[in-house]
Amino acid sequence: MKGLILKDLMCLKKQLTTFVYVMAGTVVISILYVLSTRYGNLARVGEQLLDQNNGMSRVDVKNLGSEAMVLFMFLPIVCVGDLMNVFVADGKAGFYKVSSSLPVPLYKRVLARFLTIYTLFGLGVLVDALLAVLLCSMTDIMSLGQFLGVIFSGASILSIYSALMILYCVLLGYGREQYAQVLALLTMAAAFVIIKFDSVRFFVVHVLGDGVGFDSSVFWKPLDFIREKGYVLLGIAALVSVCSYLLSVRIAERKRGVI
Amino acid sequence: MDEVRNVIELKDVTKDYGDFKLDRVSFAVPEGTVCGFIGQNGAGKPTTINLILDVISRDAGEITLFGQSVDRNSAALREDVGVVFDEMGFHEFMTGRDINIMMKNIYRNWDEAAFFENLRTFSLPSKKKCGAFSRGMRMKLQIAVALSHHAKLLIMDEPTSGLDPIVRNEMIGIFREFVMEEDHTILLSSHITGDLERIADEVVFINGGRIVLTGNKDEILEKHGILKCKKEDLPGISESLIVSSEVSSFGAQALINDRASAEKLYPGAVIEQAALEEIMIGYVNGKR
Repeated sequence: MKGLILKDLMCLKKQLTTFVYVMAGTVVISILYVLSTRYGNLARVGEQLLDQNNGMSRVDVKNLGSEAMVLFMFLPIVCVGDLMNVFVADGKAGFYKVSSSLPVPLYKRVLARFLTIYTLFGLGVLVDALLAVLLCSMTDIMSLGQFLGVIFSGASILSIYSALMILYCVLLGYGREQYAQVLALLTMAAAFVIIKFDSVRFFVVHVLGDGVGFDSSVFWKPLDFIREKGYVLLGIAALVSVCSYLLSVRIAERKRGVI
Repeated sequence: MDEVRNVIELKDVTKDYGDFKLDRVSFAVPEGTVCGFIGQNGAGKPTTINLILDVISRDAGEITLFGQSVDRNSAALREDVGVVFDEMGFHEFMTGRDINIMMKNIYRNWDEAAFFENLRTFSLPSKKKCGAFSRGMRMKLQIAVALSHHAKLLIMDEPTSGLDPIVRNEMIGIFREFVMEEDHTILLSSHITGDLERIADEVVFINGGRIVLTGNKDEILEKHGILKCKKEDLPGISESLIVSSEVSSFGAQALINDRASAEKLYPGAVIEQAALEEIMIGYVNGKR
């Protein structure tokens, strides 16, 4: 099984090279951003926003700063954690024939793919955590705990997406990876709408519609959630991964020759 | 005398795809032999191989490998099986070294030194991407992998098709060397009967999803013959002897399934030895 994970990582060699560049770029930009919020133009913009009497509090300004930091933390994980290239490369090479002749049972072949994605997320989280330590020593926009919350939330959301993508790839077979991506995104969006139906309806009707319900907390609630309650997303991600794995094994067992 | 052990055994194996059915396929491959699995394209050779490897599930019947049922045991049994497909299957960016890294973390018996030795023997560069290999090199790479985990059984699906005669000859030499070990066995699927005639001990002939002929190659060749006679003499030949017949302006010829009986019954007739290809064509045409 370890051999299959190594093979998957070889398939992602180019992606991992890109990851190094993205990581370097993220480090540079985030440091510049932090310095600017402290001493530069962004700090001045923050002061101006507070002086304008537009209802923005110091917390709002700080949260605005956090939004950008969240993006910086998400970028490396997004870059490293896309498994689509593995499925495309396997399909192109006809590797499923080779893999089905190897002394690796089907459930381990599916598990190898899941472990590849968690290895990549582990790498992304590790690098992000080091960046977080560096950044939180330079700014008070977010604490280290909040940074880690953001990182784990990002990794959790993306691992939910990846687990669903693997499931759809196994279900649809080789050559339909893009459909699998779209279906994974749609499933996540649908699940979010169903779970948070009232909030979504309120946002659409009042915030986007008549503007009556506008309140800055509408925007800061999700931010607070990912900063403070990353463990909830982590739990959901674990549950989705287990369900997706079991379903993928079952489908692969019935279809045979898809992984 | 030691009892012959069958490495592969299929009993009444059935797989129905709707438009194609592998119908009650039964045959055995004895240990230490090269078994040629012949049949025209679409006869069911890859399906049978996939069933033996448990890549696809069967509808009925029994399959054993090394005396053990493949059900729920196939992964462990594959440890002793080397498989060569008609297409390479490895990613084009992979080098011999990459394949070694992957395989040594998969096969318990992977022999790194043997793999690189095989690459050297087959003149395959270990640092070159296999996407840049010719078809012959790709097949040799698969064989190098199959030989590097001390497999006892090689299952090969059309390994020589599309190769030039020099490379084919080289590959047959490799197969011969492999079966020098008495517990090594080969199941070689091919429609190039000339190669099988040179190397096979046993022959299994499949047509339209059914086994039409199976047994020792020499016995099959000895048993069958091409009977040549005048057009008007053909109806006088016993129908039970004729597999298929052909009438031309020069006369008639028939593939017969019992040369010895035919020679006794028709002493004046010319009966020549039939090649494996002629036997295959005869059975295919006879069934039509």
